[in-house]
Parts: sequence; structure tokens; C-alpha cells
Amino acid sequence: MISQVFILSSQGDHLIYKDFRGEAGKDSINMFYEMVTSLSGAQPPVVMRNKNLNFIHVRHSGLYWVVSTKDNPSPFTIIEFLNRLAALTKDYCGSLSEKSVRMNFALIYELLDEMVDYGYIQTTSTDILKNFIQTEAVTSKPFSLFDLSNVGLFGAETQQSKVAPSAAASRPIVASHGEQGGKNEIFVDVVERLSVVIGSNGVLMKADVEGEIRVKCYLPTCSEMRIGLNEEFSIGKSQLRGYGAAVRVDECSFHQAVKLDEFDTYRILKVCPSQGEQTLMQYQLSDELPCAPPFRLFPTVEKDYGSRYSNDMWLIFIGRIVAINVSVTVPVPKGSLSLSQELSSPEQSAELQPRSKAVLWTIPRFPGGAQLSAVFKVEVPRLSSASLLEVGPISMSFELPKYTCTGLQVRFLRLSPTQPGLSQRWVRYVTHSDSYTIRI
Amino acid sequence: MLESSKESLKLEAMKRVVGLIAKGKNASELFPAVVKNVANKNLELKKLVYVYLVRYAEEQQDLALLSISTFQRALKDPNQLIRASALRVLSSIRVPIIVPIMMLAIKEAASDLSPYVRKTAAHAIQKLYSLDADQKDHLIEVIEKLLKDKSTLVAGSVVMAFEEVCPDRIDLIHRNYRKLCNLLMDVEEWGQVVIISMLTRYARTQFISPWKEDGVFENSEKAFYESDEEKRKSAEETKPYAMDPDHRLLLRSTKPLLQSRNTAVVMSVAQLYWHLAPKHEVNIITKSLVRLLRSHREVQYIVLQNIATMSIQRKGMFEPFMKSFYVRSTDATHIKTLKLEILTNLANEANISTVLREFQTYVKSQDKAFAAATIQAIGRCATNISEITDTCLNGLVLLLSNRDETVVAESVVVIRKLLQTQPSEHSDIIKHMAKLFDNITVPMARASILWLIGEYCEHVPKIAPDVLRKMAKTFHNEEDIVKLQTVSLAAKLYLTNSKQTKLLTQYILNLGKYDQNYDIRDRTRFIRQLIVPSERGGALSKYARRILLAPKPAPVLQSAFKDRDRFQLGTLSHTLNSKATGYLELSDWPPMAPDQSVRNVEVAEAMKEWSPAVGKAKSSKSDDKFYSDSGEEEDEQAADSGSDEEGGSEGSTRTPVSLSSEAESENSETSEDSSQSEKSSDSGTGVKKTTTQKNKKLQQAKKPRKLVSVCDRVCVCVCQQLSSPVFVPVHTYELLHRMTGKGLAAQYHFSRQPCIYDDRMISVQLTFSNNGDHTLENIHISEKTSAGQNIHCFSPIECLEPEKSVTVSMGVDFNDSTQAASFQLCTKAEGFNVSIQPAVGELLLPVTMSEQDFSKEQVWGAVFAAKLVSSGALVLVCVVQKDSGAQLTVNTEKTIIGSMLLRELQTVLSQGS
Repeated sequence: MISQVFILSSQGDHLIYKDFRGEAGKDSINMFYEMVTSLSGAQPPVVMRNKNLNFIHVRHSGLYWVVSTKDNPSPFTIIEFLNRLAALTKDYCGSLSEKSVRMNFALIYELLDEMVDYGYIQTTSTDILKNFIQTEAVTSKPFSLFDLSNVGLFGAETQQSKVAPSAAASRPIVASHGEQGGKNEIFVDVVERLSVVIGSNGVLMKADVEGEIRVKCYLPTCSEMRIGLNEEFSIGKSQLRGYGAAVRVDECSFHQAVKLDEFDTYRILKVCPSQGEQTLMQYQLSDELPCAPPFRLFPTVEKDYGSRYSNDMWLIFIGRIVAINVSVTVPVPKGSLSLSQELSSPEQSAELQPRSKAVLWTIPRFPGGAQLSAVFKVEVPRLSSASLLEVGPISMSFELPKYTCTGLQVRFLRLSPTQPGLSQRWVRYVTHSDSYTIRI
Repeated sequence: MLESSKESLKLEAMKRVVGLIAKGKNASELFPAVVKNVANKNLELKKLVYVYLVRYAEEQQDLALLSISTFQRALKDPNQLIRASALRVLSSIRVPIIVPIMMLAIKEAASDLSPYVRKTAAHAIQKLYSLDADQKDHLIEVIEKLLKDKSTLVAGSVVMAFEEVCPDRIDLIHRNYRKLCNLLMDVEEWGQVVIISMLTRYARTQFISPWKEDGVFENSEKAFYESDEEKRKSAEETKPYAMDPDHRLLLRSTKPLLQSRNTAVVMSVAQLYWHLAPKHEVNIITKSLVRLLRSHREVQYIVLQNIATMSIQRKGMFEPFMKSFYVRSTDATHIKTLKLEILTNLANEANISTVLREFQTYVKSQDKAFAAATIQAIGRCATNISEITDTCLNGLVLLLSNRDETVVAESVVVIRKLLQTQPSEHSDIIKHMAKLFDNITVPMARASILWLIGEYCEHVPKIAPDVLRKMAKTFHNEEDIVKLQTVSLAAKLYLTNSKQTKLLTQYILNLGKYDQNYDIRDRTRFIRQLIVPSERGGALSKYARRILLAPKPAPVLQSAFKDRDRFQLGTLSHTLNSKATGYLELSDWPPMAPDQSVRNVEVAEAMKEWSPAVGKAKSSKSDDKFYSDSGEEEDEQAADSGSDEEGGSEGSTRTPVSLSSEAESENSETSEDSSQSEKSSDSGTGVKKTTTQKNKKLQQAKKPRKLVSVCDRVCVCVCQQLSSPVFVPVHTYELLHRMTGKGLAAQYHFSRQPCIYDDRMISVQLTFSNNGDHTLENIHISEKTSAGQNIHCFSPIECLEPEKSVTVSMGVDFNDSTQAASFQLCTKAEGFNVSIQPAVGELLLPVTMSEQDFSKEQVWGAVFAAKLVSSGALVLVCVVQKDSGAQLTVNTEKTIIGSMLLRELQTVLSQGS
């Protein structure tokens, strides 16, 4: 079982250290940090072993969350525990960062004390823990609407009135007594992750969408919440509902607290959310996208003269929305020396990263329906046709706010009985790229 | 600040102190000041003090003792949270002096009203055990008690304690097995993980293997059956294996947990199915495992490791989900390699073309380690599937023109391995490689090419000497491994083609002789002696050709995960591929099924304790409606149990009933009646019950108490035949009166469960209570006076405080006589002679009989079958209804018992009518 739990910053500072069984020495932290840093690769293995001591760690927001054990527990248990610990810390402290962990060490100690007894995990449920926890969270920033009025959701410039300030969703769930009485808020996020492989001939080879509906709840008293999804939402291939194009997913799984009695007919999820963050529903769709993939890229690679080759690219964004934080990574042959570029607008940028052997083309904001082009000329000594083969698949990453690939929408969000105070309800959609690859 | 009178100041100070701990600084000199605050009322402050105490108590033992009294007071606090946290901190203080205090506190908390406190007590057990292992026996007692607990909160924690303190005491689980299975769904998730892994081990020792029919490893083709039912039919036809209903119960109760949100639970269920389920049922875990792949990076890594192990043994399981294992560009390297591993394992003739196409794209990857791994994977695919070997070889040869060194080197190595497995008809490939030789710089690849050329020099007679010539030029610049291969090549060529290469070989051997590396010098000396004819080495040189040019067996390309299946899936040992401390080996299936009855009868008790969740066959409800349909219901159940082996989840359905149905309904009614009347008489109401049955002369209501107890043991047998639980009367007999016992009072009752010590014994529960005003110490049985009777004593009770009572169980072998068992009951000071007198009904055990066996059965008769506990002799009771009365027959070998039973039954029945 768990011998020690510690949280390290990325520089190796001790943030939290708790020993549960007294069987591992105090130097284990340093031992762990040496092991992590001595590995040259970017990703150290999850499970590491030093003599008789095993370390299992995960990384969340730049912090190492580590468990050491001498025993033979299931690694799943430990990893799941660490993930839960990180989630709980986030729930209780508001945000997850080195600073917030530092400021709330007393709270985290208390949490750990209740969660783990002598290395055995007792409970990680927010509802139960809430009864035991006495310490109040210290927020790193006092919450003020004035500071945040300029910041939109996910960095997008969107209309102020419709969007909740992003910091509102990152504050501790246990509100200080009476101070923020008016903040009865609930956030429902529909988050989708898209992974696409497009072949060299422009054919869609593989497409997967993983989505989830997350609820973050600040309501002090829990009442029943009803979330209505699109009525034409269907699961599996055979089932078709409604007339128009159905919103279809392959698989769906729900949080155990979700009641599904109205789901079959009306597509309504009923749930009594507890405070904190939960994932209500997860769904997957593979191989068949209801819409065309949002980006098309037409690359050509030509050998220029001498030791140069050029790479022309046309990037087209299909859709009526705005994509943000778009970046395109184009691999270049080994030993590439320099890059000259022609970009279509000044706000874009491109740079050659010799370490990862790639050109990174970033587009901060990409309006729908637009076409961008870029020409990269790369200088490679001893260029041969074989080295052009190293210009591998191009990968993209992007964020599409207010957009879901499957077309899943939240029709309504009702709380019953209606909260006496003013309760604010927010529904947010976002699609991330998980892995968007275009082969050349 | 800690001395301050203001709460807020104290709190602030405490926070700073804890902050010091967090940073790893020593704050132990503050100990006295902190300890003073332990009695503080403020909960927040209190908790911080607890954190501090747990951290430093070991270093400052004397001062820590100051706080103990506070904890002892807190243990009696009305607030359960305070009780629990006091116990937790008390048990976390690692000071050996307080062991007795802890022991006492744990024992008390184990019988606390609040399940939360009991749970904390369960956790405290391990702590005390690690502090003082001598307490093991007492702790096991506590564990035994807590295992019986019906709260879901406690179940998980106590199993954790069980695993830590006494994982080998599997006998403690028997009685609670079904309860645990049934509770499993409601236990909180971390508890589920522990319970499931414990049950996996348990099941491996208690059930026979469901895999027998398919041999040890089943092929992938066999894993797919058109339907489960068909499979079952065929299985039933071919072999007599029938799964133990308890085994089935375990599988069924864990199945819904595959949907759990907690990955740890999902994985532990998956490993349970993997290790326990029949082959055709394992497939249901596949989907859940694949779902886990969409989880965190760290989880992915470990899931993939487990899948890799599984996929070696059973390809079929994961084949439909092959696409999920396609590598993504965002994956980390170690995840990519694992996915590759799985894809390689899954590849077969049907899907190899898609797999190879995937591999082709992977080879181009920027990640060179991954590209190299892909090439190796291609090699493995090629050896596994002979049809595609040529295609793979060609592909690999193409890769030789790649610019990247690592890719080329890896290809060469793989090609060498492939050619070795193939009959050597690929001389053009060898030629091609020889051409490339100049451009390749990676030593391993160069060595591989040299070896290839040497091995197949007969196929390339022209090129080989030329390569050797080149090597001779560059010999001193090469790596050691290349030099060694050069020497070998020279030797081989010398043997096959000595005309051209004699001088070259001499030259190389000379170079080797003065090399810096002793391995090379060694090898050179050896080769020289071997091949160059001389006076002394002549004997060996005859065989040189056979030694050097012997056909070599092809290397086996196999998975790195091949040997991992010796570890239990989902454990740390499996992940590390080495044994972690505390790894408990999963035992093999037992060749014979161990006695099932250990779980069997105890279920009655489990159900009695925990009725609402079982419900179905629970028949001790006493509402009137129940009587009108109970007969039918039970008939149905009985019929069910005959046809369907999975019938009742309680497991008592294993005894198929084949008595005629009328008799059954009659029986059940009498049994209900008697249990009802027994209940009512026990509770002292003595209500006369009117039954609605017309043809019933055997009304048994309002019987004298003594006779009830005679009869209901018999009724018990009927009940059990009819798949309903055992009713245990709580009637107790006095063993020792408190006046004679000088404060110690003892009572006993027959628990009517098979005795755990010996199946010839009858279990008797003794309850001691101390009615005196001083503590009684060391209560034990000293002397067994009666002859021919075996008594299994209870373990001595250390001390019994005033106003307390304790229950122990003992076993007595009455030798099938109603003679009293006498013995001496002793306390530290005195001894008392006591005796236990069994009623004749207590000596009987229910048995199941077939219709044929019970030939005397009549249409309107009520029949009972039982056997004597000790000798196993049968006792058959038959009641035949005549026009005006009933005829009662008792058949048994033991005439004394028979006549006694007959007499007592007669009295009961005549009084009843």
C-alpha cells in the first residue's frame, strides 16, 4: 500500500510530503527526483523502481504527484488515486498550480489525512470529505470581476454578456462562509477531442471523436438538475431519430449518479450534482464524422535547387466559426539549417525548431471559411531525394470554441426546484484537437 | 503564539508549524507547546495538532504519552467523527508502550454503533500489527468479528486488514464469502478493489478450474462461439463440469463493476475474469479495457501493458478493437511501443495487410526509437506469418536505403534474423547488403552483415572474399563486435575457399593477435589453433568445418511480454516484471473441489443478519400473506434449483428436491408453522395461530417451549431441502448461574451450523457475562470429565470486565447420545463443574434424499430425513395421515435415539392437535 505521498514542483521543491507507514526513508524524495531528472527522455516511465522502493507518479499542471510504495498494490489503484487527489485539490483550492498548492498546504494535509489511513485509501468522494474538512482554502487571487472583464472564455474574443469569466470556474468549491452568497453558479461543459488522420491523397483515413459532458457545480444545496440534449441524439448505428441529420455517437457511458429514465424518450439527463467537478457522460464516435474535418491542408514538397527544398501549403478552414490557437507542425529533414518563409498575414508566425526537427507555424486566430497559405524554404546541406522522405506527416493542433463535432447540443438546463437565490447557469462548448495528422 | 489564549492566533501558529513539516524542516522542538493544544475544542486546530502529533510522536515518546489520556477521553465522545479521528491518531502514534491501550480501543471500537468508527477500527488493526506483531491472534479475532459486519463501509477496510495481517487465513472468509459477493456493488470503490483481489485469490483455491475442457491455452479461433448458449450445451454434453454456484455468483456480482468510473475497479474486475472466468466469458472485459485507453496517459500505459500480456495468450479477444491500438502522433514513446507490441501480437493472416500498412507509416516517424521498434515488429510479424515473409523482406530491403542510421541498422539486424529462419535462397539480398556495407556505420548492423556473409558464403562466393579484403584494411578502426565477426568470417572463408583467402586470413589473425581487447585476442588464438593445421591442434582441426559451419538454429523472435503472465495481472509486480515485496502468488486451481459446505450453510446466518438485500428466499417474515403462497413460492424455487444451476444467488439451491410436491407444500407449512410458533413462543407472546389449511391435523401451535426445540431441528432439515434458510432459535440454556459462578454467568445455545472444528462435532455457542463487581481473568476449560466425548475448547478469554459479556463458540462431539458433556470451566481463581445437555433434535443434520430412497413416502405424508451428526446414520421420520389421526414412524439404526425421538415427537404432535 501507499508508503508516502509527495507533491513536487517541476524544479524538485517539496510542496507536500506525508509519510503514512514510516517504512521508507526521508531521502526518497530526492531519490525520486534524481531518477526523474537523470532520464534524458521527455517522459519518464510511470512506474519506477529503486531497490525495494517503487515510485508511481503522474503529472498534473507541471507538478509531480508521487506515491512511493514497498508493497504490491495495483498500479491502477495508485494512479487513479493520484488523479483523484489532483482533481480534489483542484476542487478545494480552486486552481491547480504550484502557488495554490503552497498556499493551501494545511488543507491538503487535512485532505490527505482523511483520504488515506496508514496507506490505505479510504474515500475520495467529495461529498463525504466535505463533512470532515475544516480548513478553508486560500485562493491565490482575490476574485474580482474588474480584472477579468477583458478576458474571454478560452482566450477567445467573444461577446462579454454571454460568456462567464473563465476564472469563475476556477475557484474553490467550498465557498467561504457567507462571502460569496450570490454565486450560485453551475457550469456545463461539452468538451470534444478530435483525432483525425488524412491520407496523402486527401482521403479521410481515420476519424475519432471523444466527448464528455462535464458539470462544475457551486450550488451549496443540491437540487435535481435536468439537462436536455438534442432530441435527434442517437446511440449506435441502427437507431435513427428525428428527420434531419441525426446526432450520432457510437458509445455512451454515464456517471453512476445520472438517472436515465427520461433519456430514452426525451434525451434528458437527470442528476443531482454534488459540489465540484464531475463528468456526467462520455461518448465516442469513430470513423464517421457527421461533418467534414474542419481543416484541409494541401501540401506540396519540391526540391528547389542545390541544398534547398520548398514546401508550399494551403490551409483551408471549413466552417462558420473561429478557430483559435491553431498550430501546424511540419517535420523537416535532419540537419536543416535555415528557414525562409512567406506567410499570408503578419499575425502568423513560423519558426524552425532544430531540436524537434520541425517547423512550427502558429496562427493565433483563424476565421471560418478563410484560406491561408505558407511557403517554407528550408536549407538542408547534402540534400538528397531520400531526405525528402523524412518530411513526415504534418500534425495540427487547434481549439474550436462554441463548436462540437458531433453536433451535440444542450437544449436546456433546468434546476428543480428553482433555486431561491439567483443561480447562474453556463453552458460551454469546445472542441480540441487530440491528434490531427495529415500525411504527405 | 501557541501559548496564546486566542484561538485564531493559535490556529495561525499551528498552520505555520505544519508548513514547516511540509517543507521538510524539523519542528520537533515545539512538541511540548503543541501537545498542550490537543484538548482544544476547535476542530480545525485539533486536526492540525493531530497532523503534527502523528509526525513527531515517534521521536518524542515520553511527551506523546501526555496526550494519550486526551485520546482516551475522546474515544468516548458522543460525536462519531471525534471518536474515529481519536482512534485514528491514537493508532498512528508509533509508540510501543501504548500497545495495550490501542488493543483495548480497537476492540471497543469494533463493536461501536457507528460504522464509521468500526471502519476506523479496521484500519487501526494493520497499524497495531505493524507496531507489535505479537498481537496477531487477538487482531485476527477482531478481524473475524468485523468480517461478519454487515455495513458496506466496514467491508472494504476489514478486508484490507485481513490482507495485511493474515492473508493465509482463508477459513475466515468462507462464512462471509457470499455476503461479500452480494455487498460488493455497494462497497465504496477503493474497498471494491481490495475485495475483488482477495476474492480472486480465494476463488483460485476454492473452486475447480473452469478451463479444463479447453486444455491449457485456448486458441484465438476457439474464443469465438456463435452464442454462449450453444457453447454451454456442447460443453455440457462433452464433460460433466458444472460451475460451482458460488463461483458463478462471484462472476455475476462483479460483472456490473466493469462499468465503474474508477479505472482501478475496472482493471481488478478484468483481472478477476481473466483468472477465473471460463474462456468464453472473458471476452466481456475487452470492451471495458479498450475504454480505459481513452483515459489519462498514465492509465493508458498500464492498461496497454496488461493488454499486451493478454493478447499473447488470446488474440481473439482484442482483434475486433484493433483500430484502437493504432498509434497516434501525440502518444508518448513508451505508449507507442506498447501499442506496437499489441498490434504485433494481434496480427494474423487476415489482417496482416492492414497492420503492415500501418507499420509502413510508423517507420517514417520522427521518433527514431519508435521507428526502430516498428522494424523489429515487422520482423516478428514476418516470422509469425510465413506467407508474408517475402513481402516483409522486400520492404525491409527498401528501408536499407533510408538515410537514417538507426533505421538502417535495425533493418539489417532484422533481415539477418529473418534470413536465418528462412532457407537461404536470398543471395541477392545478401549481395545487396554487402554493397551497402560501406555506407553503414552502426556496429551492430555491420557485424550482422559480416555474420550473414560468413554464414552463407557459399551463396555469394565472389563477394565474400572482397568484403573480407575491405575489412582487413579497416580492421583496427572497427568496434569490438565487428572485429569479432571479421575474425569469424575469415575463419569460415578459410575453410570454404582457402585458395583465395589464405593470406588474408593469416593477416587478420595477426592483427587480432595484438588487439587491445582480450576477447578478440582469445578468439583469434582459438581460431588459429582450430583452422591452421599444426602438430598439436591436429585433432580438433579435422572437425573445424563442422564446428564453424554447423547449421545454426534460427533465433526465435518473441514478445518481451512472453514471460509476464506468471504474475497476476494488474499488480505492481506485473508492471515491473519482477517480484515486488508482498506479492502473493496466485495459486493454481485445486485438482479437487474443496468442501463446498463451508460456505454453504453459513449463508443462513449471513442472510439473517442482512435480510433486505437478499430478500428472495428469505422466509422468516411473519405476515399472514406469506403463508398462503409460501408453499408455492418455495416449490417454484425448488423446481428452479433442479433445472437451473444458477438459480438462487444464495447458493442453498444446490440441493435438488425431488419429493412429491404435495408433500413439500405440507412440509413447508409445518416448518413455517413451527418456526412461527417458535418465534412467537420465544418472544413470549404465545399467540395461537390458526392455519387455513384444511387437511391439517398436525397443528403445532402453542407448543411447550421445550418440545419446540426438539422439533425444530427436524424442521430445519425440511426447510433446507426446500431451499430456505436455516432457522436458528435463540433459545439459550443456562450453563452456570451467576450465584454459583460467583459473578460469572454462562449460557449456551446450539447454533445449528456445521461445526468449523470437525464435522462430527456440534457447535455450541457460549455466552459469558460478568455480573460481579470485579474483573474476571483467564476464563477457560480445564478438564473434560466425560468419557468418549470430544470437546474443542474455545480460546481462553483473557479478561472480562464487570457488566461485560463475551460470546465464544466451541465444538462438542456428543457421539450420538443425549448424554451430557461435562467439563470444568475455570477462571483464574476458581473452577466450576458444568455440563451441556443436548436435546435429541440437536444431534441431527439435514440430508437430501431422492424419491426412490424414501420409498415409504405416502401421498399425504410429511417426511423428514436427517442424519446423526457424529456417526452419519440416517434417521427417517414419516408421518402418515389416517382418517382420524396420524401414524408416526421413525426409522434409524440407533434404536435409542429412534425411540427417544419418537417419544418426543409423539408428545408434541398429540399436544398440538
